Amino acid sequence: MIKALGYFLEIIKGGLITVRHFVTNMWFHTLKVLGLKAKRRGAVTIQYPEEKKELAARHRSLHRLLRREDGKPRCVSCLLCVTVCPSECISVEAAEDPDSEIQKVPAKFIIDLSRCCFCGFCVEACPEDAIRMDTGKIEVAEYRRADLIYDLDKLLK
Amino acid sequence: MPKIFIDDRAVEVAEGLTLLQAAESVGIPIPHFCYHPAFPPEGSCRMCLVEIEGLPKLELACSTVVKEGLRVRTMSPKVVEARKSVLEFLLAEHPLDCPICDKAGECKLQDYFEEYGLFKSQFKEAKEKREKKFKLGRNLILDRERCILCTRCVRFLNEITKTEDAGILNRGIHSEVGIFESEFIDNNYSGNLAQICPVGAITDTDFRFKTRVWFLESRESICPLCSRGCNIIMDSHAGYPRTLPTRRVYRVRARQNLDVNFHWICDYGRYGYAYLDEGREDRLVWKKGDRETRLSWDKAAQILSEKIRSLVHLRKNSRIGIVLHTNLTNEELFLADRVFRKGLGVEKLFLADPPPGKGDEFLLTADRTANRRGLQEVGLPVQAPDLKALSGLDLLLIFGHYLAAGTSPSDLKNALEKVETKALFASHKSGLDGLVDFVIPVPVIAEKNGSLTNIDGRVQPFVAGLSFAGDGIAEWRALLDLARELKVEHKYFSRLASPEAIYRALRKEIPFFK
Repeated sequence: MIKALGYFLEIIKGGLITVRHFVTNMWFHTLKVLGLKAKRRGAVTIQYPEEKKELAARHRSLHRLLRREDGKPRCVSCLLCVTVCPSECISVEAAEDPDSEIQKVPAKFIIDLSRCCFCGFCVEACPEDAIRMDTGKIEVAEYRRADLIYDLDKLLK
Repeated sequence: MPKIFIDDRAVEVAEGLTLLQAAESVGIPIPHFCYHPAFPPEGSCRMCLVEIEGLPKLELACSTVVKEGLRVRTMSPKVVEARKSVLEFLLAEHPLDCPICDKAGECKLQDYFEEYGLFKSQFKEAKEKREKKFKLGRNLILDRERCILCTRCVRFLNEITKTEDAGILNRGIHSEVGIFESEFIDNNYSGNLAQICPVGAITDTDFRFKTRVWFLESRESICPLCSRGCNIIMDSHAGYPRTLPTRRVYRVRARQNLDVNFHWICDYGRYGYAYLDEGREDRLVWKKGDRETRLSWDKAAQILSEKIRSLVHLRKNSRIGIVLHTNLTNEELFLADRVFRKGLGVEKLFLADPPPGKGDEFLLTADRTANRRGLQEVGLPVQAPDLKALSGLDLLLIFGHYLAAGTSPSDLKNALEKVETKALFASHKSGLDGLVDFVIPVPVIAEKNGSLTNIDGRVQPFVAGLSFAGDGIAEWRALLDLARELKVEHKYFSRLASPEAIYRALRKEIPFFK
């Protein structure tokens, strides 16, 4: 009996929280409409996915590889991102570049996004600023795991 | 024995040592680039400066000989300051391409730089541009920007190979390592140059850009490619990065052993590691006609020992033949002797080896097997594999895939067809696979424990550096299992459960191994 009363008590408590939020937000919305208080506004639900929230400047989204001015990838496959990656999701294979100033280029650059934890260490480790996580793409979902393995072409896009 | 004081520690060192050697012998490292224990001191890098009490200037530890009562300071503020200046000058000309340098991670310049914390460069000018990719030798690429002119490579070519291919050309800021009249460094020891280079100036095309050194796992081993038994380090893939490695071993380096190979190995041994992964036997199969059945070693051992037992019962010991080779360890040869010759009375022991190559006067021997001396010392009476003798047998155990090399395939096929049961214990695929009933994969030297006797009679134990992936079994274990199944001298063999135990028995029984 007491237990059942406890349930009702929690339901009422929850209802009160909802009411409190409604009243507070309604109060601020009304004030704003009346032009009495413009600074603080009531909460608004963003209509995702039709409407999208702007990402912060330092938000870490999907990786991309940068190119040099002549279009070649900036990456010199030093494997520092591979070394620092805590989820061991990057694998790079190096190749020799005919240009002796560049010397090392990636033959393969694969990020397994299904392993990636988006920590951004690879971006910090990169000595060439060749990898960034600023594409703004956060909806990385696929029907198959294999589609989550991004190779050089996909990352350079 | 002169008594000297290094950093207020009184040490007694041998006469004639230099300060650097003396300090190293008591565990005080003195940073250096150009000094190498194999060469006389050069004194060109100026990194090993130390303070000696009573002398106004700093002295080179690599070329100052110890004297009674010397008081040396290796870490005084004056010394540290001097080292920092030396490093600054070296860095002024050294490019900062550590991210793409193969030496990064084991580079002495990088280590000292880190140790002395020179993170703020005072150097404002543009760095000197030099040749980045000069083909120095068959497997060597020289990066002249990275070179710190320690002349280790020049001295190696002058004193070890005595080919004198290279030298320091030009003077002052124009000095560079060069080869004379575009003569290419092409000798059997050139791979050592990449190993002794203290920075990443000389890189090895075989290892270049393959991986980074911090991903590698170093395992000590013995080179089995000739009978010198050079001590080596195998740098193998440790499991990460996850890409399927095309090879397990990325490079082979020399391990110092002043009694065998000093600090060097030959290129034949250095670059000849492809056999570890290529053409390996990986499935234990039993062939009956056209059908191949996979089975476990235990089952195969039962079938084989059943056949051997029936032959022994019928007193047909003379119709059993064993083909051995000298890439087997001392322990395995000893076991083969104990089980087959002394245990079962098998007299037909053959020896099939890879053909000899061309040796040189330094390390590489003409004999291309690892343990011929071991076979002699174990005292196995072996004969050359005569096809006529082979064809008269009922059961043949073939160790090694070398039998196929020396004879024509059709003759071998005809001879082996007459033998009722043939089992092959081989590490590599060969023409023999199709001719035998059992194919049992076995590990190579790098994958098992044991000991080898080199050409000078030095017994060198080793442990497995790589794991054996096939579903076969090591020869010593196979021989022990056969002995157990056959119930030969049960008491004797049951004590021998590991290569160490076998070696102990070997030492007790054969005076040479004492």
